[in-house]
Amino acid sequence: MADNPQDTEKLKEEIIEVIASEGMVDRTKVTPDATIESLDLKSVDIVMILTALEEKFNVYIPMDGSLQEAKTVESLIGAIAEHIQKERETQ
Amino acid sequence: MADPRSGGGGRRVVVSGMGVVCASGAGARKLWEAARDGVAQIRELKTERPYDGRIRIAAQVPNFDPAAYIEENVLPFCDPFTQFAVVAADEAMAQAGFGRKDIAGPRTAVIMGTGIGGMTTIEDGIYKYYVERTRPETLSVPKLIPSAMPTTLGARFSALGPTFAVGSACSSASQSVGIGMQMIRSGMVDKAIVGGAEACVINATIRAWEGLRVMTPNFCRPFSMGRNGMSLGEGAAVFILETAESARARGHEPLCELAGYGTTSDAKDPVRPDLDGAASCITQALEDAGLAPRDIHYINAHGTATHANDITESEAILRVFGDYGREVPISSTKPIHGHALGASGGLELAITIEALREQIVPPTINFLDFDPRCPIDAVPNVARAHKIEAAMSNSFAFGGINAVLVVRHAD
Repeated sequence: MADNPQDTEKLKEEIIEVIASEGMVDRTKVTPDATIESLDLKSVDIVMILTALEEKFNVYIPMDGSLQEAKTVESLIGAIAEHIQKERETQ
Repeated sequence: MADPRSGGGGRRVVVSGMGVVCASGAGARKLWEAARDGVAQIRELKTERPYDGRIRIAAQVPNFDPAAYIEENVLPFCDPFTQFAVVAADEAMAQAGFGRKDIAGPRTAVIMGTGIGGMTTIEDGIYKYYVERTRPETLSVPKLIPSAMPTTLGARFSALGPTFAVGSACSSASQSVGIGMQMIRSGMVDKAIVGGAEACVINATIRAWEGLRVMTPNFCRPFSMGRNGMSLGEGAAVFILETAESARARGHEPLCELAGYGTTSDAKDPVRPDLDGAASCITQALEDAGLAPRDIHYINAHGTATHANDITESEAILRVFGDYGREVPISSTKPIHGHALGASGGLELAITIEALREQIVPPTINFLDFDPRCPIDAVPNVARAHKIEAAMSNSFAFGGINAVLVVRHAD
C-alpha cells in the first residue's frame, strides 16, 4: 500500500477533503504550501479533523509531535498519511 | 497577627498520614515501590461491557473487592470513586494514628477532589434507561454526586467541619490538599481530610477521551522523543493534615510538612496548556513556602506525555528556575499509575512525599531519547539517589486551572 504512489496520492486527496470540511476552510485554499496558521486551524480543529479521519479510515491517530509540529498543509498531510499507512500495514 | 504562612511563624501544617488505592493496588507503599522501581501498572483494558474503542490499555485498580473494606450498610451508597476514597482514607487515618472517631467534631474539614464524581453510576444509569429500557438504580443520585465522597468520609469519621468536593479536573486533588492546608493555617479548622478520587475507566468515558487524541495507543513516555499521549488511570489518595504543634503534642511523627501551595487559572484555552499560567502557579507555590527555586530538589511533574503539556511544563519550570531548571531532577510518574484525573495530584503527592522521605527520585519510564523541546533532566528510566530537602508536585488541568504543592521535611 505505502509503496503505491497512486494510492498515496488518492489518500492525500481524501485527507485534503476532510481538512476542508472539518476545518471549515475553502477547499481551494488547502494547498500543500498553505500554512496551518493561514488556514486559521486551531488545535481543536485538528482534533475534529482527526476524529473524522478515524471514522473514514478506521484508524486512531494520536496527537504526537509530527502532527503538532506541522507548519504547512503538506507536512500535516504527510504526518497523517504516514499514520494511516502504518496502521493499514498492521491491520 | 502572625503571618499565617508557614515561613512566618504561623500555624505550620503537616501530613500525618496518607493512603492510596490505584493500579498498584491498595496501599501507598505499593504505589511508591512501583514508582521507585519503574514498574508500569498500565495493563490490558478490562471492561464489564464489550469495548469497541481503539485504546486498549489503562491503569485500572486490580482485583478490588469493596465489600472487603466497606460495611454492607454503607456500600450501596458508594460509587467506585467513593469506594476508593474510603479505603485510602482508612489507611491514611491509621497511619496518622487516629481511630475512627479520634478527630470527630466541627474542627475537622473534609475536602476531596474529583474530576467527575460517580461516572460509573452515571454511565450505568444511562445504559439502563436508554439501552435496556429500564431505570437507573434507586440510589443513583446520592451515589453519583461528587460530594458523596467527602460526605461518606465525613460520616465515617464524624467530621462536622467544612465539607465539600472540589471539581477542577486534573487539579482537583492538589487544590483540595491546598485548600485544607489554608483552612488549618487560617485557624478555621484544626484537622483536614483531603485528597482526591476518580473512577472513570469505563466504556463511554474512554471513548470520549480518545476523541481528544491525547491518549497513547502504546506507551506513555513523558518528556521523551516519540511521546504520543497518556493512559487513563483511576484510584484515590487521601491525606490527613494537622498542625505541626498538634502532631508534636500527641507524640506523632508526621510524614512531612506541607509547606506551600499555589493555584492560578490560565483563563484562556479549554485544552491547551499555557506557559504564563503554569509558571505563575509554580512561583506562587514557592513564595507560599518561603523557598527559592534552588531549595527544591525534586519536581514530580504533571508530565502527561502529550506533546504540548510536556513542552509547556518544561518551559514553565525553566522560566521560574532559570538554569537550575535544567539540573533539578524532574520526573513524571504517570506511566506508572496512569493519569487518574481528579485523583492524579494526590497519587503524585504521595509519591513526592515518599521521594522526600527516602531521598530517591523515581524515574520517568518508557523514556527513549532526549527531546530538545523539553530541556530538563527527566531522570530517564532509572531511579536516582538524591539529597532532597524540599520537593514540588505540579498539576495542570484541562480548563486551565493550575495547582502546585511543595513539601519539605517536618522539623
